[in-house]
Amino acid sequence: MGFLIDCPNCGPRSVYEFKFGGEDKTPPGLKGGVKDWRHYFYFNLNVNGSSDEWWYHSGGCGAWLRVTRNTATNEVISVSRASADREVEK
Amino acid sequence: MASQKQLWKFREPAKTYDAVIIGGGLHGLAAAYYLARDYKMSNVAVLERNYLGYGGSGRNTEVIRANQRAPEILPFYVQSNQLWNELSAELEWNLMVWMKGLIGLAHNDAGLNAMRLRHETQVRMGIENYLLSPEEIRKLVPSLDITNNPAIPIVGGYHNPPGGQVRHDAAVWGLAKGCSKLGVHLCPGVEVTGIVVKDDRVTGVETTKGPISAPVVHMAPGGWSSDVARMAGIDLPVVTLPLQALVTECVKPFLNHVVIDELYFCYVQQSIKGDLIMGAHLDPWQSFNNYNTYEFAAEQAYFILQLFPDLAHLKLMRAWSGLCDMTVDGAPIMGECGPKGLFIDAGWGYFGFKGSTACGKNMAELIATGRCPEKIKFLGMDRFYEGRMVPEVYLARS
Repeated sequence: MGFLIDCPNCGPRSVYEFKFGGEDKTPPGLKGGVKDWRHYFYFNLNVNGSSDEWWYHSGGCGAWLRVTRNTATNEVISVSRASADREVEK
Repeated sequence: MASQKQLWKFREPAKTYDAVIIGGGLHGLAAAYYLARDYKMSNVAVLERNYLGYGGSGRNTEVIRANQRAPEILPFYVQSNQLWNELSAELEWNLMVWMKGLIGLAHNDAGLNAMRLRHETQVRMGIENYLLSPEEIRKLVPSLDITNNPAIPIVGGYHNPPGGQVRHDAAVWGLAKGCSKLGVHLCPGVEVTGIVVKDDRVTGVETTKGPISAPVVHMAPGGWSSDVARMAGIDLPVVTLPLQALVTECVKPFLNHVVIDELYFCYVQQSIKGDLIMGAHLDPWQSFNNYNTYEFAAEQAYFILQLFPDLAHLKLMRAWSGLCDMTVDGAPIMGECGPKGLFIDAGWGYFGFKGSTACGKNMAELIATGRCPEKIKFLGMDRFYEGRMVPEVYLARS
């Protein structure tokens, strides 16, 4: 079975309407070296359990979402709109 | 009267070994087998938390081939093919190796160009391959629709004879038999719960059956590679995705090749029994859940009917999925990693089944001699930090 993601704008929709944007990772910032950036790009926690992720509702409202999902069961635990209030290291 | 002789023995793990292998799939079993056969290292335990062959070893589509894209990795798959062909006689166990050959299909210029590139690479490396017109393909696969009826008609393809099918369960059982005969301890039902490291050296593992000490720990856990590596404090450059496949009901033999379509992203072969094994779809989000979707079955049916319209109304019997731990460049990770004595074998997206024999052989050489064989030297995990990617990318659509 596929699963549903409860989009805050559109309501529950099939996962196939969405694009997966990968794990929610913290970028190394401007002071990070090449090795840090490569770690950020290529390596993953790849958690077997509760995982924080980015999803994009490409077949719907076009919003970026932050989703917490259990990767062992595909149960969607929480969904929220991605907001710009996150602190970015300058 | 059928033989009642036991093919292998399962053991409770001992307290100490020369090497412990985490994962009792084809990769772990092959590594143990070649350690014992080639290097007389038989004081080895294979620890498996479920049953032998629980993961990808029993959830694949049984294809072996040596026509991958990256030239540096091809000798590895050529060796793997050779080993598959030697193993039945060596193990005295029929792996049902059927070198039926592969047929690849292209539907446009981009597809043909990609095939020409791979054709040149293979031919220069001594791998038999032919580029064919649709009419020539039809002589090999008469049931294929080469007319203009499909939504996107076939414009050409290749015939790659050195590939085919191996019965995957037989491979697991054969290697288990071989390992057991050489004195390797096979321990199913034993879960590794920790990897013990002292002074930057691995000294053993913690398990549900107590601690085991060993100077060498080899991680071959398939799709669960990140879980296992994390026990040693190591992040891996992989994401775990379930790859879906299915079989139809049995019909009379009509398909003598593995037919691979790279535009429709599907492949099909007919087993000796007569059912059609088809794959494959990769949902591009991480999941450790072996789930199947209706979308996959519907898409697969559409794709296959574009190629073989006569298969309409054939029943789908069964679908399954296996976990693929995919690297960003599509090539596997093999080598020593982290503390001394710790080895990793991971990142096998599409190539885990076909590569298992050569992987076992080369990892055994590395573990036993400390020298990294040429065939896997460039596949260490440091390549991701050094920007030395292997151009094997062959990813599913997302």
